[in-house]
Amino acid sequence: MPAPVQCLLLACGNALRQDDGVGPWLADWALDNILSEPGLRILSRHQWAPELAEDIAHARSVLFLDTSTSTLPGQVLLLPVKPSSTVQGLATHHLDPPQLLCLARALYGVIPEEALLLTVGAASLEFQQDFSAIVHEALPRASELLQQTIQRLCHLPKPVLAPSPESPCQQI
Amino acid sequence: MTQTITIDPVTRLEGHGKITIRLSPEGQVETAQFHVTQVRGFEKFSEGRPFYEMPSLMARICGICPVSHLIASAKACEAIMSVRIPYPAAQLRRMLNLAQMVQSHALSFFYLASPDLLLGMESDPANRHIFGVVAAKPELGRAGIALRRFGQYIIELLGDKRIHPGWVIPGGVTEPLAPAKRDQILAMIPEALANVRLALDAYKQIADQFRPEIEVFANFPSLFLGLIHEDESIAFTDGELRMIDPSGAILEDGMNATRFTQVIGEAVEPYSYTKFAYYKPLGYPEGSYRVGPLARLNIARTMGTPLADAELVLFKQLASGPVQSSFHYHHARLIDMLFGIEKIELLLNDPLILDHHVRATAGVNQLEGAGIAEAPRGTLMHNYKVDENGKITWANLVIATGQNNNAMNRGVLQAARHYVRDGKFTEGMLNRIEAVVRTFDPCLSCSTHAFGQMPLAVSLLSAEGRLLDQAIR
Repeated sequence: MPAPVQCLLLACGNALRQDDGVGPWLADWALDNILSEPGLRILSRHQWAPELAEDIAHARSVLFLDTSTSTLPGQVLLLPVKPSSTVQGLATHHLDPPQLLCLARALYGVIPEEALLLTVGAASLEFQQDFSAIVHEALPRASELLQQTIQRLCHLPKPVLAPSPESPCQQI
Repeated sequence: MTQTITIDPVTRLEGHGKITIRLSPEGQVETAQFHVTQVRGFEKFSEGRPFYEMPSLMARICGICPVSHLIASAKACEAIMSVRIPYPAAQLRRMLNLAQMVQSHALSFFYLASPDLLLGMESDPANRHIFGVVAAKPELGRAGIALRRFGQYIIELLGDKRIHPGWVIPGGVTEPLAPAKRDQILAMIPEALANVRLALDAYKQIADQFRPEIEVFANFPSLFLGLIHEDESIAFTDGELRMIDPSGAILEDGMNATRFTQVIGEAVEPYSYTKFAYYKPLGYPEGSYRVGPLARLNIARTMGTPLADAELVLFKQLASGPVQSSFHYHHARLIDMLFGIEKIELLLNDPLILDHHVRATAGVNQLEGAGIAEAPRGTLMHNYKVDENGKITWANLVIATGQNNNAMNRGVLQAARHYVRDGKFTEGMLNRIEAVVRTFDPCLSCSTHAFGQMPLAVSLLSAEGRLLDQAIR
C-alpha cells in the first residue's frame, strides 16, 4: 500500500514522440527543482494504467501533467478534474484523469480533495526527442505554473481525507 | 449464398486481431479463422547489431512480458558466449521472471477475463470491463490491482523500471540484490498470497456455472509443451522442455534450446501474420501443440511449493489425463500466480540471494545460440546467428502465441460451430467466441515476426462477394 502523500504529481507521455514528452519533462523539472516540498510524490509513466488508482486514493491532492491535442499549440492550461460518470472508451492500458478518479473512488472509497490537470498544447507528435519551437517557448510558463500549483497543493489547510459520500461511478 | 460474420477488433486482448466466420448457404459454420493483422519484424531489423544489444532490443517487443524476452535473449547470447551464469544471478532472474508472470496473469485474469467470468458471458457489454467488475466485486478489483502492483514493484525494485528493465544482460545481471530491497519484497508477500487466495476461491465457486463453455472452449486432445526441472517440478526460467501427447505420454524430455530448434517447425498461413508452430515428427497441422499455464500444469508432476501443490492436486482431478479444455487456462493461471508468490519468498530466503557474484563475461565462442524461458503465455525461444565479430546475421523468435495459434483457430471453429446455428447468433454468442481466444491470453504484438517471405494477400471482391483479383506479395 502506498504511503499517504500531500500532493501526487502524475505525468504521462513519451519523450520519443516530440511534444508528447512534455508531461515527463515537467515531472523531471519538478524532481530537480521542487522535490524539497514536504509530502510531494512524483510519478512519470508512458501510460496511466488502472494500478495508479491506489496511489491517487492515498494522495490528498493530485496534479496530472500531460500534453493536449485539443488546445492551441503551446497553450498552457490548468483545469480542475472531476471523476467521470461514464466509462466509455475504457482501455486496460490507459485511462484518462477522470476515469482514474472514478476508479479510485469505486475501489478505495476516497479521492483527493483537489485534482487538477496541467496541459501544454502540442504542435507535433513525430518521432523526435526535441520539442517543437512553440512548446519549447511555453516550458518556462508551464514550469512556473507547475511550481506555484505544487506549492499551494503541498500546503492545503484542511485535514487529511474523509471517505467520499458519493456513490461509485455510474455505469453507462 | 455464403455469409461472413466478422468480429473486428477482438476485444480485451493484447494487440489487434479479428475473427472471420464463413457460413454455408444453409447457415452452418464452414470455417472460422483468427487473424493477427499487425506486423512488426524485430528479427529483420536486429540484423547487424552486436549480439550483446539483443536483450534490451528484444525486450521492446512487449510491454507486458519484456522480462521473458530479456531472459530468453540473454540465454541465447550466453550460448554464443559459452558461459554459465553465477548461481545468484540465476536465482535473481528466476525471481524477476516470476514477478512478471504474476503481474501479467493479474492483468489477464482480473482485467481481461474476469468481466466474462464474474459478470457473465451474456451481461451487458457496456459494463463488461474492469469498471463493471469493480462495481460488482470491489474486493476482487482491489486484489487484481494489488497483484499487478506487486509484480510491477518487484520488477522496478530489481531493474529500476517496471517496463523494459535493463538489469538482465548476457552473462547475468548488472548488480546484486540489496538487503533493503529483499526485505521490502518479503514484506509484501503475505498480502499478495491473500489476494491470490481470494481470487482462487472466487473462481472455484463460479467455475461450475461455465460447464457448457468448458465443453466447447478449445476442448480437444492436443500435445502440450513446457519447461520443467529434473524433479518434474514446474520451471519458468531454467530447466528443460517436456512434450506430452494427449494421453499424457512423454514424447520429448530433457529437450534443450538446440533440440527445440531441430524439432519445432513453423508454418505460415495467408490469413495471419502469426506463425503456426508444430512438432516436426508429426507434421503440420497434426503436430500442433499448446503452451502456457494449462500446458505447464499438465506436464508438471509437482509445483514445488506447498500451497500451489495442494491446488495442483485439485486441478489434476479435472480430468483423468491431461486437462484438455482451454477454459481451464484461467484456473491454471491462478495456480501459476500462487506458485510464483510462494517461490519468490523461497528465493528471497536463500542466503546466497545477496551474493555479489552476479555476472560472467566472455566474447564470441560459438556462432549460433538459442535460449528458452517461459513467458506468462507459454514457452518462448530466441535463436541467433552471429559473425566472428558478434554481429547478428540471423535471428528467429518462436513466441507462445504462435505455438498456441493452431489451437486458438481450432477453438474458435469449435465454439462457432456450437454457438452459431442456422445463421443466427446473438451478442452473447459472439462474446463467447472471443472469450475462447481470451483463455489463451495471446499477446499479438509479441507474435508477429518476420520469417522468410510473409504472405500479404489483397483481395478484390465484387459487390456480390465474387473474387475478381488477388495480389500476393
